[in-house]
This record gives sequence, C-alpha cells and structure tokens, in this order.
Amino acid sequence: MIKLSALLFAVALVAGCAAYTLVAPQRQNVADVISVEPGMKWNKMSQSAYEGHVEVWTLDGLTLNTLVFFTGVPDGEPLFVPRFADKARMEKPPVFRSTMNPLEIQELLHATVARFFRTTLAEERNLRAVSIAGGRGFRFETRVVGRDEVERAGVFVGTVAGGKLYGAWFQGARLHYFERYLPEFERIVASAQLTGEAARK
Amino acid sequence: MNRRGFGCALCALAAMRAAGAQTLSEFVEPGHRPPPDTDEGGLWGLMDRAERDLKTSRFVVRDRALNAYLREVVCRLGKDHCPDLRLYVVRTPQFNASMAPNGMMQVWTGLLLRCVDEAQLAAILGHEMGHYLRRHTLERYRDARDKSNFGAFLSLGLAVAGVGLAGTVANLALLASTFAYSREQEHEADRIGLELMAKAGYTRIAAAEVWEQLIAELAAGTVERSQSVLFATHPEPEERLGALRAAAAQAGGAEERGLERHRTGLAAVRELIVRDELSLRQYGRSEVVFDRLLAQAPGDGLLWYGKGEVYRLRAEPGDLARAMEAYARALESREAPPDTHRSIVMVELKQGDKARAQAALDAYLRAKPDAADAGALRMLLEQ
Repeated sequence: MIKLSALLFAVALVAGCAAYTLVAPQRQNVADVISVEPGMKWNKMSQSAYEGHVEVWTLDGLTLNTLVFFTGVPDGEPLFVPRFADKARMEKPPVFRSTMNPLEIQELLHATVARFFRTTLAEERNLRAVSIAGGRGFRFETRVVGRDEVERAGVFVGTVAGGKLYGAWFQGARLHYFERYLPEFERIVASAQLTGEAARK
Repeated sequence: MNRRGFGCALCALAAMRAAGAQTLSEFVEPGHRPPPDTDEGGLWGLMDRAERDLKTSRFVVRDRALNAYLREVVCRLGKDHCPDLRLYVVRTPQFNASMAPNGMMQVWTGLLLRCVDEAQLAAILGHEMGHYLRRHTLERYRDARDKSNFGAFLSLGLAVAGVGLAGTVANLALLASTFAYSREQEHEADRIGLELMAKAGYTRIAAAEVWEQLIAELAAGTVERSQSVLFATHPEPEERLGALRAAAAQAGGAEERGLERHRTGLAAVRELIVRDELSLRQYGRSEVVFDRLLAQAPGDGLLWYGKGEVYRLRAEPGDLARAMEAYARALESREAPPDTHRSIVMVELKQGDKARAQAALDAYLRAKPDAADAGALRMLLEQ
C-alpha cells in the first residue's frame, strides 16, 4: 500500500508540474527576447518536461503538438534536457557552440532528440537558408518516432545572434495535427522579431 | 540513459561465474506450454500479449540476414529448446538483453555493437536462456505472491494495462524490471550460460571479457562511479571479473570465437548501429567501443569513420586533426561510408578551407550522387 500511495503521489506531482497559461492571439513576448503574433489561442507551459533556455507552447497537449521556442541558448549549454530525469545518472548532454553552422545545429538537435525521446527513429532533412526576424537564419524539417510509436513531423527555424541560438521548433502528430497547424506555425515564424538583448544591432 | 534498460543489461552480466553443473533434467521441457488456467499460464498470456505488440514495433530490426544469424547462435546454444525461443532485435543503442518467461528474447542493437565476436554474444544469450530454462520469472512471481508483495503485482498490472497505450518497447522494459531476478538466479543463469557456451564450443573467457569491456567503457563516461547503476547495484566489479576469469581458466576446453561470422552476420546493420551510437554523444565511451573493435579489425573503414565522428562532434582542441586522421584511415578501406567525405567537408569548413571543402563535397557527391543533404552543404559553402 505504501507503494500505491507513493505512485499516486508521483502521478499527482507530475500532473501538477504542468501548469498552463493561456496565450491570446495577439502579439506576445517570449522570454523577453522573441516577439511573435499567434493567430490562435495557445497554452504556455510553466514547467514542461523540456528543461533549458526554452519556452513551450501547445494547442492540444504535448503528445499531439508542441511548439518549443529557443530563447537564446548560450555557448556551452544543451538545447534542452529532460526535466524529470536523474541527471547524475546520465551522460553529459551535447551542447550548443556559438561557432556551429546550421548543419551542425541540425546534428545537435538530432542528438538532443535521440536522448530526450530515447529514440533511434529521428531524422532531419531539407536544411536551407531562410530570412527570419529580419536576419539570416535556417530551417529544416524533422521526423521523430517516440517510444509511444507515434510519428511526429516538425519544422525547426533558427538563427544565431550575439552568439546565442534563437528559434522555434513545431512538432505535431503526423496524422492530422502537424498539417492542421503548420499554417499557424508559419504565421508565428513570419511575425517573429528578436527583442531586448536579442535584438539585432 | 534508460536506467531500467541498463539495469536489465546488467542482469545479463551480473555475477557470471562457474560452479556446479546444472543437470538438464531440471530445465523446462522442450515444447513446454503451461495450461492457461495456471499462474504460469497467466504469466505467459501477459507476455504473449506484449510480444504481439513488440512484433509490430517500429523499433524492431527486421533485416533477414541479421535475424537468421542470431537465430543460428540461439539454436546452437539452445539446441532442443530452439523452437521455443524467439529473438527480437530492438533498435536501441544501449547495452541490453532480456528474456521473458514465454521464450521472447530481446537484444538491443547497442549490445550487438559491443560484442566483439560471436562468443561474447553467446555469453549474453546463454545467460538469458538460463533464466528461461529454469523458469526464473515464474519463481519470482510466486515469491512475490507468497510474500503478499502487492507492490510487485501493482507494477505488473500497470505495465500490462499500459501495453499499447504508452509504448510497446518502454512497457516491455517495465515488465522486465518488474521481475528483477534475485542474485541467486543470476548466479544460476551464469552457470547455465557458461555450460551452454562450452557445449556449443565457444570459449568461456568471452563472458569475462564482456564484463571487463563494460567496466572500461563506463570508466570513460561522464557518470560518476557512485552514481552508476552498474556499481550501485552490484558488488565490486573487479572482484567479479577475477572470479569470471578464474572460472574460465578452470573450464578449459572450447576455443571458438566466431569473429568473422559475427562480423558477416551484422554486416547489414553495422552502419546503422554505428550511427545510433554516435547519436548518443557519449564521446569517451564511444571512443572506447570503437578502439576495442578496431583492435580486432584495424582496417575497418566504418569503425574509423565512427571514431572520426566522435572527435568531430566533440570538437575539443585537437579533435579536428584527430578526426581528419581517422577519416584518412577510413578512406584507405573500401568499406568507408560515403559520409566520410561529408564529414571532411564539415571539418574543412570549420578550418576555413573552402577549396578543400569543395573538393571533399565533389568526392561526396561522386560516392553518393543522391545525397539528400547536398543542397545544405552547398549552402554552407556559399556562405
């Protein structure tokens, strides 16, 4: 019975960690470094499973769609790590370097995803240069099959400014949820500006 | 790292040492299938259900040549029990193998990469078969029931309820960990494994080698020894290693290693499992793994490529030069993957030599005309 109580407590704890705040469809500040204008109501997570220089939004829940903003990953820091893992028992995560080119950042995301989702079924493709937030950036597509065997499609858009990585990665279940909300993601990306310390000089 | 999965891997290694021989009469009979209205039948039913899910998992490697090869090893060890055992290769880069009471075996690709030869693989498979032959899971199940260990029952119930909902492979790992074997069972599985190896003609020292290799690999990682699942849950590994070596020395006899057969059997998936290893970005550990394999196959282009990638991705001072040396060794071999040229492009770009980068890109596209990342590489060259 002790184990049952402990289990129920753990479930309550994990559930309680994910506090949501409604994000209205109007211009929003993301961690005071990115400004975007969503066209729909999103839910911002106060403490998601993603730990790092990130902010996480979702429309229908993390298993169906996830928007991860990279809010200035500095040199020497990982893109994100699992918040609820015993890090002392994990090998050190790979880290972002300000000298990385877009292909290296793509490789870094691949390794980060492989560890975070404990999957070998992740791939990225179609890396290309794009204009983002008034500057030079890059974009590529992702595909990840998690341990739940669900395939998720995604798009990563990023830029390096002042030695830090800024960007957004939208993922959705390949069946329905990715394509349905891709136009909304494109709208958010098109509206993106770097602000505060991230603003391009 | 997947702690549960790793714990299971340790099951396959724990306490391998030889002692009194196990008589075959105590083993489960070939063709055994318990009646469904017994506790054992119920347990089998649960595992059969989990196996149905595993069969359709996207993480199962279905390459025919690989599976045929592994089947040969299983049958060589299991002999009359061979028809009762079913082996699934799961594409996961950690070291792990497990055995369910209904004869469902799982071998993770990280284990395949880390076995230098067939004898080492046989050491793991033989140990797992020992659990099956002596019905260790049923023993643990009855023990938990007799002790009114509701926690164990609850864990099992949750795991079974979750199969198909929260992920097949993850839940199989959970099921396996529900029935963590006792120390006595691990000893017994080791004895049986060593006996099966000897009967099949494999050198027993391979069991000690696997253990030794894992200790060396973990020492090269970034996890503190006190935090390692391996060292936290088992007695001094050096002491165990000594016992294993002593057992192998006493046994004498068979010498077969099956190095070439192992290499040929894994040929179709070697590049895949090397790439998965690199994705872990556990640079120190991967370096140890590749060095060990290269010691047996110094001209292996794929392994040199893998080693070069460890350095390129780690990118510490001096690493780019080390990477280029490794790529050069890779290209001396016919087996160098075309991506070796791609990696050279990346290093040359890092070093600011666009002319060399362009030459490497040309070589890459000659070796791999349909390279999906050709556009991305051209973009980098133009920047």
